Amino acid sequence: MATTTVTHPGAIAYRGRRSWLYEWLTTTDHKKIGAMYIFTSFLFFIAGGVMALFIRTELAAPGVQFVDPETYNQLFTIHGTTMIFLFVMPMNVGLANYIVPLQIGAADMAFPRINALSFWMIPLGGLLLFSGYAVGGAANAGWTGYVPLSAQGGAGLDLWLMSLVLLGMSSVLGAINFIATIFKLRAPGLTLLRMPLFVWNTLVTSVLLLFAIPVITAGLMMLFIDRNYGGGFFDPALGGNPVLWQHVFWFFGHPEVYILILPAFGIVTEILPVFSRKPLFGYKAFVFATASIGALGFTVWAHHMFTTGAVYLPFFSFFTFLIAVPTGIKFFNWLATLWRGQLRFSTPLLYALGFISLFLIGGLDGAFLAVVPFDFHVQDTYWVVSHLHYVLVAGAVFGIFAGLFYWFPKMTGRMLSERLGKWQFVLLFVGTNLTFFPQHLLGLRGMIRRIIDYAPNPGWVELNLLSTIGAFMIAASVVPFMWNVFTTLRGPRNAPDDPWEGNTLEWATTSPPPPYNFDSLPPIRSERPLFDLRHGLTGHGPAAAAPRLTAGDDTNRGEAAQ
Amino acid sequence: MTAEARAMGMAHAESDGHAVPSSQGINTALLGMLLFIGSEVMFFAGLFGAYFNARAAALAQGQAWPPPGLENVIEPGIVPVLATTVLIASSFTMQYALRRIGKGDRTGMNRALAVTLIMGLTFLGMQAFDYYELLVDHGFGINSGIYGTLFFTMTGFHGAHVFGGVVGITIILLRGLAGQFSGRHHVAVEAVSAYWHFVDVVWIFLFATLYFLK
Amino acid sequence: MPLVGLRQPLVREGERAHKTRSHRTARWLSLAFLGILAAIVAACSGAAANHPGFEPGYGPSGPGPGFFPLQPVSQQGQYIFDFYPVIFWIAVAVFILVEGLLIWIVLRYRRRPTDTELPNQTHGHGGLEIVWTLIPAIVVTALFAFTVDTLGKVETANTSTDNPALTIDVTGFQWQWTFEYKAQGIKLTGVGREGPTMALPVGEKVRIRLHGLDVDVIHSFYVPQFLYKKDVIPGRVNEFDVIVQQAGTYAGQCAEFCGLGHADMHFTVVAMTRADFDGWVAQQQQPEPSQEPPPSGAPSVSVTSVGIVEGFNPTELSVAADTPWSVSLTNSDPVVPHNFSIRGANADGTDWIGQPNADGGGSAVYRPPPLAAGDYSFFCSLHTNMIGTLRVGQ
Repeated sequence: MATTTVTHPGAIAYRGRRSWLYEWLTTTDHKKIGAMYIFTSFLFFIAGGVMALFIRTELAAPGVQFVDPETYNQLFTIHGTTMIFLFVMPMNVGLANYIVPLQIGAADMAFPRINALSFWMIPLGGLLLFSGYAVGGAANAGWTGYVPLSAQGGAGLDLWLMSLVLLGMSSVLGAINFIATIFKLRAPGLTLLRMPLFVWNTLVTSVLLLFAIPVITAGLMMLFIDRNYGGGFFDPALGGNPVLWQHVFWFFGHPEVYILILPAFGIVTEILPVFSRKPLFGYKAFVFATASIGALGFTVWAHHMFTTGAVYLPFFSFFTFLIAVPTGIKFFNWLATLWRGQLRFSTPLLYALGFISLFLIGGLDGAFLAVVPFDFHVQDTYWVVSHLHYVLVAGAVFGIFAGLFYWFPKMTGRMLSERLGKWQFVLLFVGTNLTFFPQHLLGLRGMIRRIIDYAPNPGWVELNLLSTIGAFMIAASVVPFMWNVFTTLRGPRNAPDDPWEGNTLEWATTSPPPPYNFDSLPPIRSERPLFDLRHGLTGHGPAAAAPRLTAGDDTNRGEAAQ
Repeated sequence: MTAEARAMGMAHAESDGHAVPSSQGINTALLGMLLFIGSEVMFFAGLFGAYFNARAAALAQGQAWPPPGLENVIEPGIVPVLATTVLIASSFTMQYALRRIGKGDRTGMNRALAVTLIMGLTFLGMQAFDYYELLVDHGFGINSGIYGTLFFTMTGFHGAHVFGGVVGITIILLRGLAGQFSGRHHVAVEAVSAYWHFVDVVWIFLFATLYFLK
Repeated sequence: MPLVGLRQPLVREGERAHKTRSHRTARWLSLAFLGILAAIVAACSGAAANHPGFEPGYGPSGPGPGFFPLQPVSQQGQYIFDFYPVIFWIAVAVFILVEGLLIWIVLRYRRRPTDTELPNQTHGHGGLEIVWTLIPAIVVTALFAFTVDTLGKVETANTSTDNPALTIDVTGFQWQWTFEYKAQGIKLTGVGREGPTMALPVGEKVRIRLHGLDVDVIHSFYVPQFLYKKDVIPGRVNEFDVIVQQAGTYAGQCAEFCGLGHADMHFTVVAMTRADFDGWVAQQQQPEPSQEPPPSGAPSVSVTSVGIVEGFNPTELSVAADTPWSVSLTNSDPVVPHNFSIRGANADGTDWIGQPNADGGGSAVYRPPPLAAGDYSFFCSLHTNMIGTLRVGQ
């Protein structure tokens, strides 16, 4: 089939009777849905960030200065819930939605209409969550909603749990969609062991979602019944057990944190080979490590419950330590990918390197917490707050920005400003460390979390102030980013198909892609089809084993000799 | 694609521009349903987990389970046993319906689906009757302590899932009556059938746990 | 074949032309940012002074050296503190290794204009990958073994055979603590944010048993200088043993988020010699001096405490000014204790706290001081969201 030269594919995009609004409201195109996910989740990022600023401003000095305890409790509850369920998860899904079908050479997701449904549940879920403020107070029991405290609150808590049920359904439907897409819609030649790591990570994340979300849904239903129908699941007076909530919640909650971070792992693993001009070091090890982390993630949930006195400590300590091994494999393989490469320090690589350098801290913090007696000291202190923010901000958020900068040209046809990107990176890198590193020390010195006020103990005041200053730096870093996106989107659409010399199939089409994604696909003989195309299938590994292309060769009819 | 790639001779592409669902292996829609069933299994796993947690905690503290006074409220009496029989039998009729359409026998499928539908509704009716007896005659409800909460939550969500299955069977029955299925194209029947078997299996576990193991 | 590499990432047209404008923007932003900073610092220096209820130094006394936990004062805490350097230095070693490699990579492997050929396309190295799988596996296994060993030394309440010298039953509820020494017949409930004081003898095994209330929530008993906490869970009794090795005063706090008063749920542990402890016990065992009955004719006001959420009933009370008076509190809350306190009613302007608390389902009579005419706020000092208005003199 001859390739015809077409003018820019956007020119043949569907135009005509439908209005712009109708188009976006009813689209089932994974690219538009992905864009909507990204945009919506960024709005929630701002909302959650503003709440964080309120929290840190209150904590800058001892004393209760700006908000009252009820408002404060609502702030950190909604901050956590928003950042996890309305920012990181939808943002990850948005990037995956846009990129995964492209990376596997598909025209769309397996179930496009369910894809749209999954998206629209997000703003609805957000509305439910925030409507708590309109009914006398939003949820105020922490994002973990421990009973019996969460059985006490008002309507805001019912709205919180309903919103989580809805958002959970969105995630499960999305997971089904991704798994079916990845297994069924891969282009010919794209075997499982040639899939980009971002696709692998999306697959494992989807499996985790499929198995973990229903458990928390069951738990939320139990909580709803206890709160509204006199149920006794968690009420000791009725024979129930408050610790049951923690088991159910964390059985979901721990896989959840891998759901939050695996896409970032995938993005970093995509970026490193491209920007060091080398293949990924140890592709199979990456696949194995990702799958192991996913599986082991289901065995460690009770390490959040060491101080309840109700769990078998050695089992959970052991598996928590064990999860460090596949994570370590990833770290060393990332370093080996960069080793002896030719690094180009564009913004995506900066974020990927920032991710590696700082996620390390968060990961090591977690290893400390696996030491059960140490956990007895720092559980529910700022050590945990520091750990979780290192893995989520220095981890997931850095990964998200790396992905946004990497794929922005593909999605919009424009290149983001490198200068603004670097400004943002510096502010975010410094701000993240300034905010969260001092919190290690606060935890070691016994400052507990989820408190509006603290005693002016030795060292506590200065560390809290430093942390607050860092938080404002993080906030400041958002400004160059938004300015970057705003001005870039107003500029000309002049990005090439493949601005970064990428390896994977999304770069084999225009930026942005036409509605049907591909005019044609290159032959797929390794995990780097674009690289093979660029360099005539030279190189080692699976590509070298491919048959030489000659005229008359059955497998590649008509292919010109290299 | 880059200009170089085109120049290098992408005159022939491996496929015609995009991937279509692989014609080998499981049908995509059926795969979707199986994955959905997987997630629903985990939902019930959470509820079963709560049950066994409560039961183990009570026994570990030397208390009776079921709690004192409630030992004989949940008994495999005539209604629950009959309901169970009906539901298990309905899985057989559902499977029969699937076999029929596999052979192209639309009428046979429609009949078997109608029978399955009636049996499903019968099961729901019997559950409703059982609930009525428990609530009115024994005063045993969702707020009768942890035991009541567990019983009604687990069987209640199961009943909701049966209802979902009933809706599904109704839809494929109507579609079947409209002639929309053939020997080669009846994915929806396969999907609903898988869901129905799942609902049945969950009930078997529920029945064994709540009515026998206790 | 033309090399498609060596192309710099595209710079947008007109990037240079924008420099002046974005410089100005950057300057404005930096100024605004510094302004915010200055405002915070100013607010903080003012606010730090007036922090009622906390004296400087209240809380864990002194950090450990640098990145180490607090110096422990208990035997169990000492085991934890002794193990900490093991995990700490391993973490530091890993940190230096990985960050060091990263820094080296960034400095050494930057792409240079002379790099026209692709670098060596290494796909993997089986041997190396096995090594960096096995070594971490061995390290974490060793850490796990150490963990289990230390855990066995710290958590002895379930396994020890010798009886503790003293058992204290602790009840945590929203938002106060009760310490009960059953063998000695002592029961203390705290007042206000500072909470109660738990005395115990140095060098002897003390068993702490933790109780929650069925209608209440989960709390956690945390003494930072023990390097230890354990949760207070309704429906479950947790217990642990502690041997305090150093006499002194140690701060404690609830460490499981429990609602509005979570930040205010403090207590103190005082470790003293056995002789001093016996003296303290004897003193606590003295009966409470009985309250003299109110003078006849003094006005009496009645109020009911209904519950944490429901508050008081009624919420408006009135009494004559400048006269001795009494308050009769009926606590209709079945389990949770409450009291009747008045903001700023003391001569020195501090809050007057009604003591003792009325137990769940109980009652108490209080004799607040005579008050000057005006409006006052009354509240329950255990649950400061339970409030009402006291009109005096009108």
